[in-house]
Amino acid sequence: MTELHRLALFGGTPLFDHLVRPGQQAMPDWTSYEAIFRDIFDRQYYTNHGPLVQSLERRLAEYLDVEHVICMTNEFIALVSVAHALCLGGRIVIPANCPPATSRTLDWTAARPLYCDVDSETGLLTASLVERAIADSQVSAILAVNAWGDACAVADLEALAKRKAISLYFDSAQGLGCCIGDRRLGSFGNAEVISLHSDNVLSAIEGGVICTENGDLAAYLRNMRSSYGMGRSVPVPKTTNGRMSEAQAALALFGLDHLDQRIAQSERIFRTFQRGIAAIPGLAVRAFHGITKSNYQNLICVIDEQLFGLRRDLLVTVLRSENIAVGVGFCRAPSGPQKDWPDGACDTFPGARRYSARMIELPISSKLTEADAARIVERIAHIQANAQAIGRRLAQPV
Amino acid sequence: MNSRADPEDYAFFGAKPLFDTIRSTSNLVRPDFARFLEYSRQFLEAGNSPGGQPVERLLEQRLAEFHHTQHCVSLCSGFWALVLAIKAVALPGRTEVIIPSLTYRRLADLVAWAGLVPHFCEVDPDRLCITAKTARQCISEDTALIVGVHPIVNCCDAEGLETLSVETGIPLLFDSVESVYETINHRKVGSFGLAECFSLHASKLLNGFEGGYVTTNNRSLADRIGALGGDLLVGADDAPEGAMNARQNQVHAAMALAALDGIEQQVDSNRRRYYRYRAGLADVRGLRLLEFDETDQCSYKNIVVELLDSWPISRDFTLDLLHKENMLCRPYYSPPLHKRAMTYPSVCGDLRLTERLAERFLTLPCGYFVTEDDVGQICEYLHSLCMHGAALTARAATRS
Repeated sequence: MTELHRLALFGGTPLFDHLVRPGQQAMPDWTSYEAIFRDIFDRQYYTNHGPLVQSLERRLAEYLDVEHVICMTNEFIALVSVAHALCLGGRIVIPANCPPATSRTLDWTAARPLYCDVDSETGLLTASLVERAIADSQVSAILAVNAWGDACAVADLEALAKRKAISLYFDSAQGLGCCIGDRRLGSFGNAEVISLHSDNVLSAIEGGVICTENGDLAAYLRNMRSSYGMGRSVPVPKTTNGRMSEAQAALALFGLDHLDQRIAQSERIFRTFQRGIAAIPGLAVRAFHGITKSNYQNLICVIDEQLFGLRRDLLVTVLRSENIAVGVGFCRAPSGPQKDWPDGACDTFPGARRYSARMIELPISSKLTEADAARIVERIAHIQANAQAIGRRLAQPV
Repeated sequence: MNSRADPEDYAFFGAKPLFDTIRSTSNLVRPDFARFLEYSRQFLEAGNSPGGQPVERLLEQRLAEFHHTQHCVSLCSGFWALVLAIKAVALPGRTEVIIPSLTYRRLADLVAWAGLVPHFCEVDPDRLCITAKTARQCISEDTALIVGVHPIVNCCDAEGLETLSVETGIPLLFDSVESVYETINHRKVGSFGLAECFSLHASKLLNGFEGGYVTTNNRSLADRIGALGGDLLVGADDAPEGAMNARQNQVHAAMALAALDGIEQQVDSNRRRYYRYRAGLADVRGLRLLEFDETDQCSYKNIVVELLDSWPISRDFTLDLLHKENMLCRPYYSPPLHKRAMTYPSVCGDLRLTERLAERFLTLPCGYFVTEDDVGQICEYLHSLCMHGAALTARAATRS
């Protein structure tokens, strides 16, 4: 006797009455919000490298233990700026499972992407995969993605970049607060870019943080950003108008003051998921890679469809009907002319294909409680227990 | 009244500055705080999830109503709004964008970001802006687009440019950053050309902290600009080639809404400041105030004067004197774009008129921080400069 009727897909009540999705979406409480903005309205300094942006840059430099921090309006414009500041042309190596928000930044540079496979267990670039990819191309740089709060093998990539005399920069969008040993992400490669989009543990609603140890690069980036806060004057070919406003900085400063609590709450939800999922056949929380301390903002699971009894994409559909949106990996051509995406690429990139087909991201969010996480786990366990029946009902057995 | 006959009366020569804090040419209007909080509450409640930005949608709807257009797309800045609009409408296979040289200092950068080549055109000597005639002189088989840029006082002849665009088949956009509130022959700025681009930077008429927007009556163009601006990009797994994240920040949208609510009051105070300038400068020989054309609706925001040949002081020295008094006046669009160092290609012909005009104008303090009383003092000060300018120039020469 199965209990399919409990599931929303078969007429039951959805687990949540509103959509639950991955992404922190933490905002100050109302009283704090009002105080933060009363302060700005009193000062009447709204943008153009104001006191709050300057303070945020100092605080982040200290927190990340990196020499230079440049705050910009969003991560995209920050990544474009870094590529221009590094004078990149030719080809830039990016992972085959690169999110479009990152790969599209190359559309705004003189360089074209050179897609490279990733490790099938971690979904991340490795030095040996990159080295194989760049064998006979005009590669000027590696844009490595430190995805899901994990990190590539940064030391190996740094050594490779040095040996090949090419640049290395990181999209560490989701990595604020993650550590490799006693070093936080932020000071690796020529530069790292961290996102302050509201899905992350530190939010300016939108925002991008460029971190670098290189003073010349920092000066160039500050001059590209706008006429304000440019420090020493350096000629730049084009400006990017990428200023961060005082409003954005104020929200991020508040977030920084509460970052430990934010990470701690995320960890509690993470642990709840982890404990519960350990008992579900065919589903496992993926181990952290390349880091020694996580910010716990992303929960990535790996599914073994045979053991779980249901195809990954069906699990996604069933959960969606419960008002639970989950993330999945992907490995496919970007839209537009496919000149840079090799024919039959998913065969060319077996690691990315294998990784993305098994990956599923469950929601961690400031809006979720540990009890919510437990309910999601319980619902997934229920789905697994009834997997054969669900598959039959949907006429799509494994 | 202090006539300031002695050079020692001027901050440049050691006197106490006329103002103890900066009087700038930036607008910096403080929107109503309660309104800002009200709009903020909406986005705080809804969160920032993809597709669910009620405050941004509300802003777009309100701006479209304000400009009498069908559509509005709000974005992270006026700069990127115009870049994306250029990319969306430029004729494929063609390379040049016609823009004036006597304009916003980043306008050529912006064309270069769109992957195109700026072709600088001459301006009209009276209105200081691009005209159908000056644009027509630059049209060739390479022309992909004309950008009609409104000057900071009054508007360019948008109807003339529209006729040129229809005649030649060359698309037309407007950079209307300085003309949010204006009408042209009683038609609201916003619906001219294929689209018009605006800024929500704090220094502009509508203070949204930062931000920008595009207005248009063309639905598919609005969608295209939205897609290029990242509607599908963040948190999604696809986006069109050449797209970027230029999405509006919710807190900026809330601010812009509060600013829009206060626009009429703001224009009222701008008008009072402007009238005070007009009265105060009437008897200052050698200065000509650029007057607003009040047969149409105008914002009265920017105050621009021409230094006539009878003005006794060079523009550079005039600016030095004003800066020392804590008046952050600016030379009007100087140097012009074609005289600036550029690393990307550009095209320009004979722009002697632009070059001459770029030496003659300056902007005077305006905006929220400048009171009518301040304006009175500024006019008196300029009167003193006019009376004693020769002596001041001579004194500065002995000092250096």
